[in-house]
Amino acid sequence: MPHAFPFLGRHRGALLRLGAWSLLESAQTFLVGICLARALDQGFLAGRPASGLVWLVVAAGSVLLAGPALRGVFGQLSGLVEPLRDGLVRRAVGQALNRAVADPARAAEAQRAAVSRLTQQTEIARDSFAGLVLTVRSFLFTAVGALAGMLTLAPQLLLVVVPPMLLGLVLFLLTLVPMAAAQRRFLDADEEFTDRAGALREGLRDLVACGTTDAAADGARELIDEAAASTRSLARWTAARTLALGVAGQLPVVLLLVATPWLRDQGVTTGALMGALAYLVQSLLPALQTMMTALGAAGSRLVVVLDRFVSSEADGADGGGARVAQAGGPGPCADPDPVPDPDPGRGPAPAVWCRGVRVSYGAGTRPLVEGFGLTVGEGERVAVVGPSGIGKSTLAHVLAGMHPPDEGAVRLAGRAVVGHSPQALARMRVLLPQQGYVFAGSVRENLAQLDPGAGDDRITRAVTALRLGPLVDRLGGLGADVDPGALSAGERQALCLVRAYVSPAPLLILDESTCHLDPAAEEHAEKALANRPGTTLIVIAHRLSSALRADRILVLDGAGTAFGTHESLLRDSPLYRDLAGHWNSSG
Amino acid sequence: MVFTRPRAGTTDNDVARSADALLTRVARASAGRTVAILLCAAAAAAASLALPAVLGRTLDLLLDGHPDAGRALLAAVALTVAEVTLDATVALLAGTVGARSTAWLRLRAVRRLVAAAPHDVNRFSPGDAATRLSVQATEAGAAPAGAAQTVAAVLAPIGALVALFLIDPWTGTAFVLGLPLLVLLLRSFARHSSDSVSRYQRVQSAIATRLTGALGGARAIAAAGTVDAERSRVLRPLGELGVEGRRMWSVHGSATARSGVLLPLLITAVLAVGGLGLADGRISVGDLLAVSRYAALAAGLGSVTGPLGALVRGRAAARRVNELLAVPPLTHGREDLPTGGPGTLELRGVGVRRDGAWVLRGVDLCVPGGGTVAVVGRSGSGKSTLGAVAGRLTDPDEGEVRLDGVPLDAVAADVLRREVGYAFERPSLRGATVEDAIAAGAETVSGDRVRAAARAAGADGFVRALPRGYHTPLDEAPLSGGELQRLGLARAFAHAGRLMILDDATSSLDTATERQVDRALAREVRPGTRVVIAHRLSTAARADLVVWLDGGRVRAVRGHAELWRDPDYRAVFGHVDVSGARGER
Repeated sequence: MPHAFPFLGRHRGALLRLGAWSLLESAQTFLVGICLARALDQGFLAGRPASGLVWLVVAAGSVLLAGPALRGVFGQLSGLVEPLRDGLVRRAVGQALNRAVADPARAAEAQRAAVSRLTQQTEIARDSFAGLVLTVRSFLFTAVGALAGMLTLAPQLLLVVVPPMLLGLVLFLLTLVPMAAAQRRFLDADEEFTDRAGALREGLRDLVACGTTDAAADGARELIDEAAASTRSLARWTAARTLALGVAGQLPVVLLLVATPWLRDQGVTTGALMGALAYLVQSLLPALQTMMTALGAAGSRLVVVLDRFVSSEADGADGGGARVAQAGGPGPCADPDPVPDPDPGRGPAPAVWCRGVRVSYGAGTRPLVEGFGLTVGEGERVAVVGPSGIGKSTLAHVLAGMHPPDEGAVRLAGRAVVGHSPQALARMRVLLPQQGYVFAGSVRENLAQLDPGAGDDRITRAVTALRLGPLVDRLGGLGADVDPGALSAGERQALCLVRAYVSPAPLLILDESTCHLDPAAEEHAEKALANRPGTTLIVIAHRLSSALRADRILVLDGAGTAFGTHESLLRDSPLYRDLAGHWNSSG
Repeated sequence: MVFTRPRAGTTDNDVARSADALLTRVARASAGRTVAILLCAAAAAAASLALPAVLGRTLDLLLDGHPDAGRALLAAVALTVAEVTLDATVALLAGTVGARSTAWLRLRAVRRLVAAAPHDVNRFSPGDAATRLSVQATEAGAAPAGAAQTVAAVLAPIGALVALFLIDPWTGTAFVLGLPLLVLLLRSFARHSSDSVSRYQRVQSAIATRLTGALGGARAIAAAGTVDAERSRVLRPLGELGVEGRRMWSVHGSATARSGVLLPLLITAVLAVGGLGLADGRISVGDLLAVSRYAALAAGLGSVTGPLGALVRGRAAARRVNELLAVPPLTHGREDLPTGGPGTLELRGVGVRRDGAWVLRGVDLCVPGGGTVAVVGRSGSGKSTLGAVAGRLTDPDEGEVRLDGVPLDAVAADVLRREVGYAFERPSLRGATVEDAIAAGAETVSGDRVRAAARAAGADGFVRALPRGYHTPLDEAPLSGGELQRLGLARAFAHAGRLMILDDATSSLDTATERQVDRALAREVRPGTRVVIAHRLSTAARADLVVWLDGGRVRAVRGHAELWRDPDYRAVFGHVDVSGARGER
């Protein structure tokens, strides 16, 4: 809630205009009661039905006034509500992207939550906020009109009406805090159960296989009971709110009747009495009811949702910050490594050079590799093989400067990978992940993603080299828009290969990024990329055939790694023999 | 009751009927309270109907200074108190009955879910199952109370209309003539608003699609360093969203303006007619007061759409919940397995059908107790299905599976899960800590056994290296694919019975660890029959027997050395020699 006041302050103009339109509503409320009183006193009860009708026509006219007033109110309302929604959408998108980029491995899991936050939760906030503004405003301005009307008709009316109304409002305000707590407890319980229900379904195979289904159902039962208990507590407070509404709305009517003899003595006319009753029953009671309902339900929902946005932003900042601090070094783009070139004076620096590298998923976990060293010369073609889950992708991330090693140094063309901004790294190497990422935009934008300044001739050269002319033509040429959903996984990967070709970076790392191409297309793509001028190619192999095309092969096997040619590895690495389908009884 | 009415249609009809039957059962489970809601809501409606007349009469008596005024005033007070209290009671009861019914539905649906064969619930994605169990169970649970309230919501406006005619037929006529206008205007609102709402939602889902696309490409974006460009690209339609949003408010505003004008206009017209009656001496001032309130009450007929809509939603939701309840449970017999049995596994004429096609057919297989059989074949040849049938994660559509001579479906559930264990390629672990995740099973095992099993599975080392060792919360333990597999193996080892099925459960292990696990499986884990589904050559080479599946049928059951002579068999393992280097595996 601390953000509420600055937000309203920024949109002071809309708020003031909203108030101005609402004043028209006050005037309308005011006129309806006055006209009814006059119609009775000066018309129907005075034996002059014609003038009674005239007064009612005036009342009807004032009712028509409410039309434009409400239209104006809604116009200003969108000036308040839409900026709120825009802000929330921006936050949701920014948070989701930052978190996904900081921890790409978990990005897929976070999708559901991110979309729910982007659509459902921002909509809840938008509707609740609009409902709150509308109803609170409506009650305030209706009350102003009604009270002014009663003051005009007979000031004594206020003495009778205002105290019970205030009493009811105070009672209602007292229920507000526990009601919000009950609402929050309900939302939390519901969310926890929803998560558990999804997890039950997700892990059902294991639950059945382990014979732990009963325990899982018992665990869910506790959450079901808590959700039911929270619903009941919410129902109790809803009932309490109904009582408060009764006091605020009905007690004044009853008291008005009780006080009728006294009011008559004070010279209050029948018409004034009827006008006061009309104010109470027709204007105030409905406004009060909608406001109380909105405050009780929408108000607490809004607080909960906004709270989540703010708290998750805090979480996100922590996580992202830690990550940046790990990877950052002294500052972006600075070269922090004072160690001299690994091979001074002996030709160009190797495309990839690392020594003593230790990589793990986090502090205290067992390393994937330790004391790892690798030298890949410029223009060389290297394949990486190993069982799935052994850490091939992580190693690719380390080489690409996206995962800081616990120990050791990694240099690309003689420059340390730590301490560069993501943009600077993108000029040193390309890392193509398995999932071919194509975004909604033009073909040109997609192909030039890694070098936005690339001219059409360069893009076309890349397309030709990879023999993807037919695909680009089918998409409608470079200027056409692509719909990523309409492309097959292989077509997406093919477009990403062009992207890599266009990039100015000399080192290309393909992390199973041709797995959806057929073997012939894969072979051609690898050859075309390897033949790109000045290119060093590292392929994390999906098929063993890629490995056979490479100059040298790196076999990852837990702590033990082997690096060599196909023949030497067949001789020296049992795992490689296994992977290559060369079985012998001693292996 | 509204929800017991059957709907037209053939198969739809049955679906609707069973969903309605479900709602009837839900209502019956809280029958007393549901009836109480009905009574209280009806009584509240009656009180609200009587109140205007009594208020009018009281006003008349008070204006006349009549001695009966006091008594009438008391009656008005009593009615007011009754109405407010009854309203509060209805709110309380509706909430509690909703809570009860929702819990009733959820509990049954959860129990049915966990009793099902895992394959049978595959068609419900986790998100879908969660929605059915949460939001939709809530909506269905609110239906009984909603039905009771709808009855009352209809009573009050109709009664009010009758009262208008009773007090002064002219006022009633004025109201009835004005009403069609109301309906007409409200209908035009629904059309316009749904137009602008659907446009708004289209833009919204366009942003969501861009965001999910970008999240799916998180690695590529991280590698390319283009997160800022991505953010502005995802947000590009935001301006359009604002335009559609403003249009939505303006449509909503004019609709509200129209309906907001209509009701007061209608009441003013009724008051004018009543005022003429007052001038004529046909009705009194009190009657006029009553007329104005009855007109407002009668116009409340429009608000019936609220509970009615909830009821319709509740019915639709009940149908979705019912689909979960309709999943057939995996029923178990009560037989025990012979004590000390070796774990002889027999499959006789086993066939499994998925979506109308046989994925496994005519499988006859006998694995002697204590033996290790490797199941090999190209992907899609039915290996995992064979594994699922062998340990009864699913029932065969034809044929029979026996363990130590007892048909699996006759074995009691606790015996079955104690004696048959599984380890998977991607295990799903549950439990507060790493230790709990390994210990969880038909019988929770001791910490010592957890550690022994973890050592056997090659997991002890990295678990000890975790921040809090075995007590590290599961969601705080960063695990690689291979480490996750080892915890899954440890869980299976800790609960080892006479049959263990390893479904690609060592695929992410390095060679050294795999060998170690293999040795431990032979020496340290309780001996028994093993069915090992694997892609790796060395696994098949070490097994006693190899089952070679091809297109859902058993192609051969023999030793690996003998099979290796067949080039087709070698191709299963992606065997390449230098001459075949250019080929696909």
